[in-house]
Amino acid sequence: MNNNRRLIRQTLTIARRDFMATVFTPLFLLFLLSPLLMVGFALVGALGGSTIARGTADKDRIIAFVSSDDGAAMLAADKRLRRIFRRAEAPPALFIEPAVEDVEAQARAAFVTKQYDAAAVLYGPLDHPQIFYGSQSGRASSYLAQLAEQALRDRASGGKAALSVATKIPITRTVPSKSGHNQSAFLAVTGIFFLTLFLSGQAVGTMAEERSNKVIEILAAAVPLESVFLGKLLGMFGVAVLFVTFWGVLIMQAGSFVPGGGARLIAEIGPAVGFPTFVVLFFAYFTMAYMLLGAVFLSVGAQASTMREIQMLSLPITIVQMAMFGLASSAASQPGTALATFAEVFPLSSPFAMAAHAANQPEIWPHLLALLWQLLWVAITIVIGASAFRRGVLKSGSGRKPFFARFSRVAVRDPIDIGVS
Amino acid sequence: MASDWAIKATGLVKRFGDRRVVDGVDIAVPTGAIYGVLGPNGAGKTTTLRMLLGIIEPDEGSRTLLGHANPREASDQIGYLPEERGLYPAMNAREAIAFMGALRGLNWKEGRKRADELMEAAGLGHAVDEKIRKLSKGMAQLVQLLGSVVHKPDLLVLDEPFSGLDPVNQERLEKLILAERDRGATILFSTHIMSHAERLCDRLAIIAGGKRRFEGTVAEARGTLPQRVHYVPHHEGDGLKALLPPDAIREQDGWGFVMPETGVEAILVRVIEKGHGICGLSIERPGLHDAFVKIVGRAALEPAQ
Repeated sequence: MNNNRRLIRQTLTIARRDFMATVFTPLFLLFLLSPLLMVGFALVGALGGSTIARGTADKDRIIAFVSSDDGAAMLAADKRLRRIFRRAEAPPALFIEPAVEDVEAQARAAFVTKQYDAAAVLYGPLDHPQIFYGSQSGRASSYLAQLAEQALRDRASGGKAALSVATKIPITRTVPSKSGHNQSAFLAVTGIFFLTLFLSGQAVGTMAEERSNKVIEILAAAVPLESVFLGKLLGMFGVAVLFVTFWGVLIMQAGSFVPGGGARLIAEIGPAVGFPTFVVLFFAYFTMAYMLLGAVFLSVGAQASTMREIQMLSLPITIVQMAMFGLASSAASQPGTALATFAEVFPLSSPFAMAAHAANQPEIWPHLLALLWQLLWVAITIVIGASAFRRGVLKSGSGRKPFFARFSRVAVRDPIDIGVS
Repeated sequence: MASDWAIKATGLVKRFGDRRVVDGVDIAVPTGAIYGVLGPNGAGKTTTLRMLLGIIEPDEGSRTLLGHANPREASDQIGYLPEERGLYPAMNAREAIAFMGALRGLNWKEGRKRADELMEAAGLGHAVDEKIRKLSKGMAQLVQLLGSVVHKPDLLVLDEPFSGLDPVNQERLEKLILAERDRGATILFSTHIMSHAERLCDRLAIIAGGKRRFEGTVAEARGTLPQRVHYVPHHEGDGLKALLPPDAIREQDGWGFVMPETGVEAILVRVIEKGHGICGLSIERPGLHDAFVKIVGRAALEPAQ
């Protein structure tokens, strides 16, 4: 049989075994539905958080110790201005209190009462008001000042109806905005990051099964280790694709219920290469990110001899992923800079940064180069990983010490013997 | 084109650190033969087999398997049972056998069909759907062995195949090895249990201290030791010892000595003439076990490398 065909067949045999062994277990269902658990926990957390926030917001208030006329003018101004704020960003509710003789003392006392939390307090004439405010309530104090200004303007205009009556016409952009490109770039980086964070980390422990079951000897005798590594990576990638497809279909179905406003928003954040191409490139870069990071994790994990060592690797793995995310995010927000170019060329961040590139720049050819470059690094990583496994675990190296050990007097741990007599 | 040699290896060397675990081993396995690699624990048998199969690369020397300098190119024609048995516990026996066949180029459907046939023939038909984790150690070992022959290999390499098997399964395994040979396969196996080697091997090599100490047939191995004579006189007497060869020693019910080059007849004539008579006489051919102990013992006396 042709050697390449044999390698492909052997690789796919390993991939098939790993895919089936992972998917046809009850635990896979838990894995598949784990985002529901995450969403559930997030909802519970958000519910708790919003309850706390609402409780705090209910207690917060801004107060004006002014005459009833000034108070009425300020309330009218507040009613109009408050409409421009989103609910979560709105200033605390305005309360008008009659001023007593020592109004300054009255205003100071508002900050020590336990009946409410005063964010900012205004007293004195509206043309020269005095405003006290808490350490985190600078914006509330500005709002109070603006209310005083607006109340006086309203009074100066003689309480007429609005001087300007605008007609608002919604426009749907036919060309995505610059900031929309940036947003889609960031979404692409974040999407690939989360998918690889959830999925590629699994690769770290896949060789542990073969080592603990001693199956590695059977595999190593029949199949080149490079094929074993690639097969295992493809098997786990198959699992990842199943996961992504399942959730992708669900999210797309849910997306069909998004109202027209949502569709307009999506049009605004359109990527530079266009949506269909972007979807293809997104999947291609997700594949490359998975394969690259998975190959690194698989190679490093294959050197670990116990589950404890594998668990110890999870922290550095997450840190590496976070670092790549940070680098690619920076590149996404600064397209065309040296930092962006570095992130696009550095192998581990390249898939993330190039997905952002697709959102920011319309050219296609850099993606073909980038995919080839990333594919090359997948191959290099697998070859290095297999070689390290052969030397360190199968003891197939020569009697020479490992490269770094030659420069160090630190004792190098003996490789694991998996059956040498 | 069929070659005279299924395996030909010369000067294989493997170092682990400063230790030469295998030190210049030559092995030539004739096509169609059952060939044993014998040696004590730690002799370098497994390392030699792993080098032959390409699992690890030799530091020096060369090897040819089924006419291929690179063992990987002959991968689909080789079956291998490693010393450390390994199967996926969650697979059932049929899938485990088919998987091992698939690694060697057999398609899954055919692999499953042959797995059923092999399991039936090995008396394990009832366990074909059982998960590996539910099988006894001996049964799992047989399943693995069946997995190594499911693709009908031209060369079968078995590393300590009998270890851990009860006598019934050992006999099953011997029959399976002979059946594979009858099918036309070449079999190379390592062991330190002499009885199996004595019954099965056409040729064998004895390895000790990483070096090959002997190569030849079982008869030639046994021929490295002289025959021993055990003589029981009718009447003991003071002069009897003087009539026997100088190396004669008192044994439980008589005397034992190495068969002289001239034969035992002259001695017997002398003891009869002097009235000691012959109550019992046996000429014992040394077994492979004795030859092995002698060869390996001699190697142990050599200074360590």
